[in-house]
This record gives sequence, structure tokens and C-alpha cells, in this order.
Amino acid sequence: MTKNFNTLFIILALACAAYAQITVPQQATAGESATLTASSGGTLYLIGPGTAIKRDVKSGEVTLSADDLAYAGRYTAIVNGNAQSLYVSPAKPQKLSFMARPSRVPVAQPNVISGAVFVLDHNDNLVTQPGAVKFELGVTGQAPVSQSVPTKDGIAYIRAASGKREGPAQFTASVGDIVVRRIVQQVASDPCNLRMKAQRSGNDIAVETEPVRDCSGNPVPDGTIVTFIETTNEHGKSTVDARVKHGIAKAMLPAQPGATLTVASGVVLGNEIRWGGQ
Amino acid sequence: MKTSAAIAFTVILIILIGLGTAPHAESHTKSGTAEAAVHAFFDHVKAHDWDDAYAMVNPGDGVSKESFIRDIAGNNGSLKTISSIQKVDTKTLNDSGSEANVRADLQWSTAVGAVHETRDFKLTNSGGDWKLDWSAPQQVPTAADAKPVQTNYLRWDIVQSGASSNEWGVANAEPPRTRIISMNAVDYNGSVVIMGEVVNEDTVPGFVTINADLIGQDGNSLAQESSFDKISHTLLPKEVSPFRIDFPGRKLAEVKSVRISPTNLLVPASADPLVGVFDQHIEKDATGKAVLRGQLTNQSGLVVNIPHVLATFYDKSGKVIWVSDGYLDQALKPNQQVPFAVDLRDDLANQVQNYRVTVNYYNSSRS
Amino acid sequence: MGKPDSEFLNQNCLWAEFVCPPFLKRPTENKRGIQLFSSTPVREYTYGKNESAIASPGMVALLAIAVHGPLLLMQLPAFAAGSQTQMFLAKHYANDWFGLWNSHWFGGFSQTTSAPLTQQVVALLSHVFGITAAYMVTQLAVVVLLALAVYRFARVWTGERTAPIAGIGSIFLGSLALLVYRDGALPATAGTALAIFGASFLYGFARGNEMLSLVKAVLLLIAAACCDSMTAVYGILLFALPTLWLASADSTDEEYGERRSTAATFIRGVIVLAVCAVVSGFILAPFWSSVFHSSHRLLAPDETAGNFLLQGSTALRYWIVPFGFMILALPYLFLSGFAARRTRALFLAFYVALIVGLGATTPVAKYLLGGFENALSVELFTFWATLLALPLVAVLVIELVARYQQRAVVLVWVAAVLTFAAPLAWMTYHPSTENRFRTDYIANFLNRDNHAQFRYLTLGFGSQFAEVASRTNASTVDGIGNGMLPEAREFGVSHLDNAKAYGSAGMEALRAVLKHANQYGLKFIFVRDRYYEPLIAFAGWRQVEAYENGNVTLWSKEDVPPARDLQTHQTLPGIERTLWGVVPLLCLILALLLMIATPERDEEVETMALPPTGTDPIRAQEAI
Repeated sequence: MTKNFNTLFIILALACAAYAQITVPQQATAGESATLTASSGGTLYLIGPGTAIKRDVKSGEVTLSADDLAYAGRYTAIVNGNAQSLYVSPAKPQKLSFMARPSRVPVAQPNVISGAVFVLDHNDNLVTQPGAVKFELGVTGQAPVSQSVPTKDGIAYIRAASGKREGPAQFTASVGDIVVRRIVQQVASDPCNLRMKAQRSGNDIAVETEPVRDCSGNPVPDGTIVTFIETTNEHGKSTVDARVKHGIAKAMLPAQPGATLTVASGVVLGNEIRWGGQ
Repeated sequence: MKTSAAIAFTVILIILIGLGTAPHAESHTKSGTAEAAVHAFFDHVKAHDWDDAYAMVNPGDGVSKESFIRDIAGNNGSLKTISSIQKVDTKTLNDSGSEANVRADLQWSTAVGAVHETRDFKLTNSGGDWKLDWSAPQQVPTAADAKPVQTNYLRWDIVQSGASSNEWGVANAEPPRTRIISMNAVDYNGSVVIMGEVVNEDTVPGFVTINADLIGQDGNSLAQESSFDKISHTLLPKEVSPFRIDFPGRKLAEVKSVRISPTNLLVPASADPLVGVFDQHIEKDATGKAVLRGQLTNQSGLVVNIPHVLATFYDKSGKVIWVSDGYLDQALKPNQQVPFAVDLRDDLANQVQNYRVTVNYYNSSRS
Repeated sequence: MGKPDSEFLNQNCLWAEFVCPPFLKRPTENKRGIQLFSSTPVREYTYGKNESAIASPGMVALLAIAVHGPLLLMQLPAFAAGSQTQMFLAKHYANDWFGLWNSHWFGGFSQTTSAPLTQQVVALLSHVFGITAAYMVTQLAVVVLLALAVYRFARVWTGERTAPIAGIGSIFLGSLALLVYRDGALPATAGTALAIFGASFLYGFARGNEMLSLVKAVLLLIAAACCDSMTAVYGILLFALPTLWLASADSTDEEYGERRSTAATFIRGVIVLAVCAVVSGFILAPFWSSVFHSSHRLLAPDETAGNFLLQGSTALRYWIVPFGFMILALPYLFLSGFAARRTRALFLAFYVALIVGLGATTPVAKYLLGGFENALSVELFTFWATLLALPLVAVLVIELVARYQQRAVVLVWVAAVLTFAAPLAWMTYHPSTENRFRTDYIANFLNRDNHAQFRYLTLGFGSQFAEVASRTNASTVDGIGNGMLPEAREFGVSHLDNAKAYGSAGMEALRAVLKHANQYGLKFIFVRDRYYEPLIAFAGWRQVEAYENGNVTLWSKEDVPPARDLQTHQTLPGIERTLWGVVPLLCLILALLLMIATPERDEEVETMALPPTGTDPIRAQEAI
């Protein structure tokens, strides 16, 4: 008896469901309200990206608030078993998520700086509609280099060369009046034209580099290692790993007649001096 | 009965105590030989019995008891101060009755592991007692040597940005760029040895560790090891360090490839101390082994407590063919020279065309 | 050396002064009655009350509680190395009784590397008292049990009157104080107490054929073996074999019951011992397996008991302080111990323990102990020597009191108290852990921010090593015992925290483990001894934090991946785990219940009036 009653109930419910109708808007925007139309009252289920809502509705127009449709993507609305889907588009760009790397880069190096921008609306939905992002890279006192890059699926990407002057470079990305800034420290590159001079100092030879600069003329940072090497047939080799201070590296080497003095920094070699013993 | 039993048990006890004590006293009783005198001397050193140890030496010019203790026990936080003698093997090189030369192979237990030292002692027999001739250590400073030393006082410190709207790129403390500039793999003594050089190409100091993974013919990892202490971990800008990674019990023939993974970290660092390496040359030591000798000179105002010497050897094509290292048991005081020697494989001595010595260090003063 | 003036029917009764050394002898009018003490063996059912005994077992137990209770309530041994280890192991049992794999030490090790009983008792009680208080309660119970065991043991050897004195003497032993309060040697003291009890019941069975004694002896000896490996191997034999010898010696004497065959008496006892050995060996099979399958001999740290003649401080620490004023009794023990027939075996056992307790002073310890030779084992033999001497010392005390009356009583009490106080004073001036420090910073660091996914190592923490381990969820590559990593095992080094004490082998072992830090996920090293800093700095660790005003520093290595399972997990068969988890505790509980349910009555002591002997000294002589 009970079994028959249950079967009858299910059949009636399915019949009611088949009768119920729901109409959704063709276009909706994330963060904005929208209206549905239900042909009969019942329970509305709304399922979407990060969203699951259950609400009792009456027949007629049902208003979905801006919060209900905060996230862009495909939603499914169900009333009494009748389901309809709607696509919620992202709103206009409001934010830029800008990743720049590295934070520290040697000067005058091609394609060493990379920047990636994610264009987002005010609810952090990725704005997939095509647009353009303007990138600018510049050091104070110099005209910035700029480039406009079209977005693809909400993302714009650029690889740029570092400038020739050391210092903190402003790396900006902008869409309309939305501007995001990152700092990329441009630092001196490998030493260039490394040169030293030597003079007697008591029983030793005082060796000293000229101001150590990279090929763009930027002084290498203090603390950079400069290796002075003295070679003689009789006493073998003497080396000092000196640190650059105020742009110059100094060291004392034993004064050996006929010694050959060389200087190097990293993998860069400098000039050579033959010490005559004077 | 009871008295005799008590006496018997007491006698047995005394005999057992005698048997237990005799071996300890043995070395002291047969001090008639030069070798025994060296053993007895190091027994005193081991027991930190400086008075008795000093009583066994003929002090040379400028050797006072205080300087002798400084020499044998170490000072200035040197490795010697945290070492103890473990084992002494001696061999008489010659003995004329009044004079003798004894070679002592010393094994020290130190804070960085076991350290072996071979030392030749000259002994003089005075009145039946052998005494060790003890000369002043080379690096004792004199007032006349004192001169101003350069002190850089350059430091890198990391200041983290506390701002919530971080304007720096990917991070404001990005690790420095380092690069392995040479690498070589050889079989040696039942091990695979990976060696090479790494350079800090950046403008900030880096802390570098190199791990290596041996990949077998089947593509699976055979073993993983790291450079451990065979590298100078802290690299200042443009500084080059050798590294060596040993894989005991492996053969190069079973290795398909080597996966090297350096780890870099931006760290605070100081530009001091500045250590010069003078008079580097390869020669044979007293036992006929090839060694690289030289002098370390501290050109900065900072005491170096434990210097660590890393030597890179190159063949004529500039390829790294060996890396060896050694700890010095003496501290480097400003303007002092301390001799060093690091081993070189005898079979490679003829191939070595060039070499480079770098000095790593540990300072006990915390910054 | 004539016979005494009076004769006794009880030919086995000893004169009170039977072993009186010459210096104690004095002319006496002897108008008083000489107190005789019975050498009657302890039997299960005897009647009468010992009116002349100075204290009943209950009073001895109360005195033990009164002396040790406050000290243990103050948790004096809480930070001893041994107690910390015990509590750490007990904590695991409390959390997982039958799960014998402990992941906190050695990157994972089996709890079966240590005999389980005391840890299980502490674990059980920890659910009521908390872990530290549970340890203290257990230790107090052990001290009380030991006093009662010595009471009973002395009764077997030298009679009813000596028993309370020996029992009281055991409370004030310097060797006991050092083991309990400095070393935290709960397993050894517990094992010893149970072994002594077992030995005395073994006498009852071997001599008197009493089945209840058999059951008690078996249960107690198995429980003793399950407490401590040293006691299992040496302690039980040291107490049981002399007792068996005594049972054999008494077997033909009807005073101690029916006449029995000497050989049968001895063999019966040996069979019981063999059964106990087999059963306990079966229960502890995983433990013995780990001990005997260790291919490398473990080194002992440098701070072992050296030659006492050459090292005064060592003699003070390992011999003079543990013996205390009992040293003054040594001439008496040597003179009288072997001379009296019944105490001959007791003296021999004492003599062996005394010699082994001298450590490296004689070659005996090295040969006898082999791989078990270490400072604690030497201390343990000295402890056993003092316990074995107590029945004879009690005889001496009775003699002294008989001769010097009140003065002797006062002096003996003063000597006892000073013997007990000396180790406590020694501990104050030579603490096992100098400058104790808080470990909660370290535990907090390891327990937060997923730091526990890496392994850690402590260096120079001493006894507080185990304290850190029991507070944190993280695992260390170090530990105490023989479950160490292959790199450390190769050098025979069992405890890296104290690596420098092993000399170059210790530092090489530490180097070897640090070299494989990445494989073990060993990221954090806590250093409390700056000796280790150069090695870890050269090896690539960097100091990242400091605690306790810089006395403890934390070093970290950046490239270390999270720890992974070392695949060393060995699952024991269910039957072994069940035996390990159930039988030791069951034996202990059954033995205690049986002892409580079947109390013994005090022996009757005859007090006989002696006629005056004029100027003749009372002689020390055994009645023939």
C-alpha cells in the first residue's frame, strides 16, 4: 500500500516538473544583477563558479543580485527540476595583476626582463575580452621605453632588454587609467676593460685597479671580487681576492723580481704587468 | 682460615688492579727511547698537562712556556683549541744515542672531523731523558710587524620590505644568479668524484650549495650527495669557488648522466676578511707525496679563527682535474702569515698546469 | 678458640659475634642475654612473631617512602638522561601500546630496542598522573620494593634480625641515590629489586620445594629480565646463583626443612633459572635480536669510568660516593664474608660485583661485560655490590650496637644519612646537565609552520635531548640506544648529540650523517655546544635563530627536501607484539598480587640468656 502511494507521488511530482518553465537572460555581467522568469513557484537552485544558492521563489520574475553573480562563468539555474544555463561575462577591467621578474638585472642584457599582466575586473574575474596593455620601462632621468601588447585570454606578456644605466627601473603596466608599477633594480654588468697599476710599497707591491666599470660605464658595486695574481718562476704564484671599495680594488702582493701581475674578476681578465723589481 | 681467605681475596684484588693499571703506566716507564718520549709528550698534551709537556721540550729562541702552550694548545679560537690528540704513531728516522729524529703521525679529533698530521721531531738526549727541540712558530707577530691593515667594513644586509603594496618584481630578495663554469667527473679510489667551479654572477652575495644526483643506465637515481664542506658556500659578487662531490662505492661506468642542482640563497655577508695566498707551489712533502704549499696572509683587520683552504688544479686545457681541501689548525691574525699544505694526487702531479687557491673561513664571533 | 660456654640445640644458629673482627672484641661480663638471630631460611608458612626485630617490613617501606618520597615528589630525577629517555619511550606506549614503531628517533626505530616493563608501567600510570609524575610514582614504588626485597634477601642469608637493618640500609645506599637521582636508572633499579625478590623465592622453592615460591620466583625473575638487559644478563645470576648455592648448602640440614639431595636442590633451582631465561628470552626476542644482530661494536663515549687509581675524580664519582661509609665495612666483609660457611657464596658474588664495579681499574669488567661495558654498567655492578654486602653489613651493625649501644646507633645512623647525602651533594656540584635551559622554544618552532615535516638534530643538549624529542611532533635522526642510522653505526657511535665525546669517530659519524642530510630530510640543527658550529657552518647550514640569550642556536639548510619514510619500518608478527605488550606487565602484576595475597609471617627469634663468661671475650664462631 505504502509502496503504491510513493510511486503515485513520484509520478505527480514529475508531471509538475515537466509543466514548470524557467527563462534566463541571454547576457549577464559579473557583479551586476539579472532577472529570471519562472512559470511556477518552487525552489530555485543556482550553481555557478564558486556559487551554490538555494532559494524559494514564486512564479514570475526572480531577481538575482550582483553578489549572486559575482563570478564570471557558466551558471545553471534549476526550478522544480527544470534547468537552464546562462553565461556571466566578466565586467570591465578594474585591476591589473602584474608580475615582473627578475627584481635585479644586469644592464644592457637583451630579453632579461619579463612582465606578465592579468587583466581583472572588480571581482577579480579575468577579463578575457581582447584589449591592450601598455608596458613602460625606464630609469629616472631617461625617457622610458614603452610597448603596447594585446591581451590574449586576459593575459599580456612581454620580454624586454635591460637599460644601459644602473639604478631602480620603473616597470609599469597600464590599461586605460589603471596603472601598476614594479621596480626592477638594474645593476652593473661584468667588469669591462679591467685595468690595474702597481707600485712598490716597502717590501710589497701595492696593486690597485682603476675604477672598475662595466661595458656601459656603470661602476661595479662595492664588494665585487677582483683577483690579483702574481706569478714568478722562483716563488710560484700569489693571489689575493680583493673587494672593490668605492669602485677600486686594492691589495698587497710580495715584491718578487720578474713577477708577472695579472688581474681578473669573475671570468673577466684584465691587464698584465711585468714587475721589474724596481 | 678467615684471615688467610681475606688476605687471598685482597691479594687477588691487588693483582687485578695492577693488571688494569700497568698498561697505562707502561708508556711512562719505558721512556728510555726517543719514540717513547714523543708518546709521553703527547700523553701530557692529551691530558692538558702543559707543565709536564713543557718539561719535556728544549725550548728554542723566543719560546716561553706561554708561547709553547699557545703553539700546542692553540689560541684565538683556532681549530687547535677545539682539537684533542687521538692517536700517535711514531717512527725513528735516525738515532745516534744523543740525538734522534722521530716522525710522528698524529691523528687529531677536531670540531671538523679527524685531522691527520705528520710531524718530524728532533730530540736530544740530556742525562738519559729525551727532550723535544721546540722552535718558535712561524707566525708569531712582533711589534715591528704591526702595521695598519685595511678593513673594508662592507656588509650586505637583507632588509625586507614591510609594505603591503610590494612594488618589487617577483620578490625583493631574489636569490643571486650563480653559474657552474666548469665540471668534470672522474673515478678515484673506488668513488665517483664530481668537481668543478661555480661563480656568483650577481651583485649580491649568495649562499650556494651544490647537490648532485648520479643517474644510472636505467634512468634511475643511483646516489645523491652534496658538496658538503668541499665548497666555499658564501660567494661574494664575482667570486669563484671550486666544489667537489664524492660518491663512495660508485663507478663512472655505471653512470649515464649526472644531475647537478645548485641551490642559491641571498644572505647577509661581510666583505671581510681579506686573505692573500702567497708563494703557492707544488712540491713533495717529507713522505714523498705531492702537495701544494703556500702561505696565507691575513690582509684585513679581522681574525680568521678557522681557515679552510680549497685548491683547484687545472690541466693544460684549463679543465679542472682535481679539487682538494684542508683545514688549518692555526688562527689567522691580522698581518700574519701561516703556512699551509693541501694534498695533490700523485698520479695527477705531472698533469697539473695551473692551480688556484681560495680561502673559506669560520669565525666564532657571531655577527 | 674454644666453644662458647653454652651450647644450643639449634646448631645452626650463629653467635651474634660469630664474625666479630678483633677490633670489635672487648672483654665483657656478659650478664645480659645475647641476641641470637636465626639463620633459618625464609619459608612460606612460618609462625610466630619477631619481637626483637627493630622494624617490620611495613615500617621499612614507610621509611623508604619518607626518605625518597619528598625527593621524588620534587621530581629530582626528572631531567636525568635515563629518566628522560624512559619518559619518552613510555609516552609512545601510552599513545600506542602495541604499535612498536616509534618515528621520533633515528628517523624511525623500534621500541623493542629497549626492555619494556618499566616504560609500560610508567605509560599505564601516566593516564592517571601524567608522564613525569607517573615516572616518579613508579620510581618510588621501585625504591620501596627494593627495600622489601633486601629485607627478604637478608633474612635468607643472615637471619631475621639483620633483615630490617639491611632493608633500611638499602634505602640509604649512595649507589641507589646516584642511580635514581643522577642517572634516572629506573629500569636497572626495578630489575634489581625484582631479581632480589625472585632470588629469595627461588631459595624457598629450591630448598623447601614450595610451589608458591616457584610461581613467584618465575614471575619475578621474568619481570626483572623484562625491566633491564643488564639485570637480565648479569644481575639475576649475581643474586640467584649464590642463593641457589645456599639452598644446596642448607639442603642436608633439617633445621631448614626436610633433608634433600644437594645436587637435586641446586639442579631444581638451575632449571627454574633456565626456564625463566627461555621464557624471558622468548618475550624479549625482538630486543635480543636487535642486540646480537648488530654487526658493529658500539663505542663508549669518553666519559666512561676509567682507571680509578689514575683518575681521582672518577674514583670519587664511581666508587667512593656510591659506597659511602660502607667502605669502612670492607675489611669486615673480607674478614668475615668468606669465613662463614653460609655467607661464602654471598661474599663471592659481592667480590665479583666489587671487581667489575671497579671498571677499567681491573681488566675484569672489559672481559666480562664485553659490548655492555659503559659507565652505567660499571655503576650498576657497584650498586649490586653494595646490595650484596648489606646482609653482612647488617650483621656488623648488630655487633656494633651490641657492643657500643647508643653510640653505635647514633654513628650508624649518621653514617647512613651521610652515605645518602653525599651523592645528592655530588649531584649539586656536578650536575648531569649544567645550565638547564627551556626547550619549549625549540618544541614550538618544530611544531609550527610545517617544520615537523623535516627532521632535526640536537648537538650538546645532553639529557635534555630526550626532553625535546618528547615535546615535538618532528623526528630526529639521533636517538639513544642501538637503532642508529647506518652512517653512525659504521663508526660505532650511538648518540650524535654527544658526538665529540666519542673522539674522532664521533665527529666522523656526525659528518657522515650530515653529508646525507638531504636523504634524511635533516634541515634543522639545534646547537648548544659551540664546538659543533665550525663543522655545520662549513657543511652548509646557516644560523637562523637564537634562543636562551644565544646559548642555543638554530641552524638551517635551505635545499633539504621534506623528510620521507626511510623504509626501515619493521613490523613484528602479531604474536611477538602481543607477548611484548602483555606478558611483562602480566608477570609483574601477578607476582605482586601473589605476594600481597600470601604474606609471610615473621620468623620467631629465640632470645636466650647466656651465663656470664668472666673475662673471656665472646668469640666469633660458627656453631658446628
